[in-house]
Amino acid sequence: MNKSTAEKIISLGKEKMADFVEIFEEETRNASVVYKDKKVESATAGTDYGIGIRLIYGTNVVYGFTSNEEEEHLLQLVRNLSQLSGVQASGQNLDPISLQFQEASNSHKISLNPREVGQDKKLPFLKMADKAAREYSSKVHQVAITAADISSHVNIINSEGLFLSDNRIRTRFSINVSAAQNGDIFVAREAPGAMMGFEFVENLDIEQYARQAAGRAVLMLDAKYIEGKKMPVVMGNGFGGVIFHEACGHPLETESIRRKASPFAGKMGEQIAHNKVTAVDDGTIPNKWGSLNVDDEGNPTQKTVLIEKGILKNYMSDRVGAKELGVPITGSSRRESYKYAPVSRMRNTYIDKGEDKFEDMIGSVESGLYAKKMGGGSVNPATGEFNFAVEEGYIIKNGKVVEPVRGAALIGKGHEILPQISMVGDDLELAAGMCGASSGMVPTTVGQPSLKVDNILVGGR
Amino acid sequence: METSKALDYICSEAKKQGADSFDVIAGESESSGLDLYEGKVKNSEISSSRGIGIRLFVDNRPGFAFTEKYSTEALSQTVSDAIAHAKLTDPVELDMPEPADIEEKDLKLWNQSAESVELSQLKDLCLEMESLAQQKDKRVENIPYLGAGKSSGRTEIRNSNGVSCSARGNSLYAGIGVLAHQNGHKKMGYYSNSSRDFNFFKSDYMANLAVERAVEMLGAKSIPSGKYPVVLSKRITPQLIGMYRAPFYGEAVQKGQSRLKGKIGESIAVKDFSILCDPHVEGFPGSRLFDGEGIPSQKISVVENGVLNAFLYNLESAKKEGVAPSGHAVRSYSGDVGTGFSNLFVPKGKHSLSELLSAHPKCLYVTQLEGGSGCSPISGEISIGAQGFWVENGQKVHPVEGVTISSNYFDLIQNIEMFGNEYSDILSSTKVPDMLIKFMYVAG
Repeated sequence: MNKSTAEKIISLGKEKMADFVEIFEEETRNASVVYKDKKVESATAGTDYGIGIRLIYGTNVVYGFTSNEEEEHLLQLVRNLSQLSGVQASGQNLDPISLQFQEASNSHKISLNPREVGQDKKLPFLKMADKAAREYSSKVHQVAITAADISSHVNIINSEGLFLSDNRIRTRFSINVSAAQNGDIFVAREAPGAMMGFEFVENLDIEQYARQAAGRAVLMLDAKYIEGKKMPVVMGNGFGGVIFHEACGHPLETESIRRKASPFAGKMGEQIAHNKVTAVDDGTIPNKWGSLNVDDEGNPTQKTVLIEKGILKNYMSDRVGAKELGVPITGSSRRESYKYAPVSRMRNTYIDKGEDKFEDMIGSVESGLYAKKMGGGSVNPATGEFNFAVEEGYIIKNGKVVEPVRGAALIGKGHEILPQISMVGDDLELAAGMCGASSGMVPTTVGQPSLKVDNILVGGR
Repeated sequence: METSKALDYICSEAKKQGADSFDVIAGESESSGLDLYEGKVKNSEISSSRGIGIRLFVDNRPGFAFTEKYSTEALSQTVSDAIAHAKLTDPVELDMPEPADIEEKDLKLWNQSAESVELSQLKDLCLEMESLAQQKDKRVENIPYLGAGKSSGRTEIRNSNGVSCSARGNSLYAGIGVLAHQNGHKKMGYYSNSSRDFNFFKSDYMANLAVERAVEMLGAKSIPSGKYPVVLSKRITPQLIGMYRAPFYGEAVQKGQSRLKGKIGESIAVKDFSILCDPHVEGFPGSRLFDGEGIPSQKISVVENGVLNAFLYNLESAKKEGVAPSGHAVRSYSGDVGTGFSNLFVPKGKHSLSELLSAHPKCLYVTQLEGGSGCSPISGEISIGAQGFWVENGQKVHPVEGVTISSNYFDLIQNIEMFGNEYSDILSSTKVPDMLIKFMYVAG
């Protein structure tokens, strides 16, 4: 968008009495190749393009978006939005807006731009993953692999004079393996990703990930069901962090707090977790999947300590949430695309490492579950009720991991589980995921060291 | 550039750049909506979006690309991208359809009166719901979710053989989520629905139902683990049955992702269980005259009286199977071609809900499911959090939370004892009545 159009839009928004006017222009190229059933099943690429305009009146938001970049169309959108706000224009003369163009400084080095590399370079890596998964066992009967990259160029322009441009490049390699035996079919998935270019795929230990997914699918074929009840659970490191993400992360976003739809509303400075628990949301980690240069309001990203030794220290906030709750802006404002108004969201969220040893955690459990790999889950932020699937689980008996189990699920309330985390391991790991909420799907990282939760409901039969 | 011009341009460009055959899909949508909190509009939104996707074939190799930019450069680039992609993929056999007679029938997916509904009317509806909900019960703490909106959309499909068809639809929605509390215990209750008629939305009905659903769950507790008869409410049976659509897709069967492979003609469920895919029901969101590849839609009985009758196909899976495409391709401009139900119906039974609840001395009545990540359409596993009521002799004894229910879809459909005689009132493409399951494993 040129400066003059942007200035006209912002001036019109201000004339219409908005306290804050913001333009978010995005051009994103998605490209992927899918290898399935031993064939290159599809190769696709596309361009998302659009402009989102946000007017803020106090802490009320009116938002509009369109793929039509014509100036008059955009000015009409501003008029429609202001009408929606119900606030009357005053007709007063305003100082002209003057925008200062700047490029966001890039803290995440990209060596190989996927657009320049080309989709054909993905093929050998896809085939490598397929081969490794199929060679793992004759029970592996289907493998689907996707190599995807996304390159976004955004301009964030606002009535405070900001005209910031930022580039975001991410790459993900997903491997789905299914194994079959006597009519049973199980699927397991590995999907590493990073804020990197094609160098991520080149340097990835693809065969190892493929074997892991294949191993898990095959293992589950012979697994028994776990008997469902409350029991101690040792949660594996890495993707196990999804429990914190769902059960505690979402309720710590100002978007939940401002609706008082969170068990953590009004708990700032209070002990909300076991004193071994420190949790962080960090957008600054170089090249991590959930990292940013700037958030979708143009605020520099930062490392935000959420919980320190069990004490609630910070919420994750966006402009509106920070204003409404009187808390600092944490650079957490995110959206899937121009089709969403931004709200506070997570970036790379993890429980920090502790001092406990994994063996000691397992050793301390007489009868329980080792949830080595979690599947997905969800939460109702208002009540804190969460649920997740355990993709790879084992029974622990008398301090030893004894046999694999299938069909386990974990349910509970986040604020009730936090105080039950009694051991925190020294083996912190992060894993890539996609998180869905009111501003769409955004790439986030979850993470944790191995943890012991003293008592949690395990669903089974 | 207008959509029809952009379609003309991309089609001529595809021929020019050397595609042997192609099909394109354009989608356009407009929506506006608002959400309120404590008597004020917190967020409101107006949007319009559009895009065109192309699938083309060169030597039977498919290539896809899409764009939301309608400039000549962007459209040409989209075709070049698709041509480049067709050099990477493996060949696929399919017969691009010729123009066919598509039934001329008004499916009532568009109501002009919905277009003239103003956001201020939707706002007033929300304010009424909020105030009624607050007055209804003093245990209502606040109303975190309250919103309404309207949307409309249009789809157009063209192919290199001259197929050209389009469809449009619109709808209004409104919803409310109430948080209730008692002695430190909090529960949410929701109600939301869609319609094409503004007068359908009754603020008192919606507010009362949301409040009732929140307060009736206060004091909920777990129940001991065990194997119990379970009544699945018509509020959640569409969600549960809907998660297991994929095993009925021809492509899933062909690619080893369905446990129903080789079972056509076999009994897979109790004899009262049928699944009907019916695209021609007036007003239903899944209704359509043609599918995502321009094939006329048809009614298919997928499971009939417990017997697996048919799988659903798109062009590619039909060709591979050696059958005629059944008109079940789904496609959006930014996505690949998949398979999908139009509307999915499980026929109603004869029994009232109270008959289902009193069929056994004790049962768990499930009215809410939590999450779905423990449910896999491939393995059929069901392992999911549930809330509802503990029922003895047909009477609710106490609300239940903190339990999971577990089974396998392919066992569950062989264990349905009774079907209810009603569907929920939600405007949805999936309709399933209350169901009594002989037993499920409950962990608490």
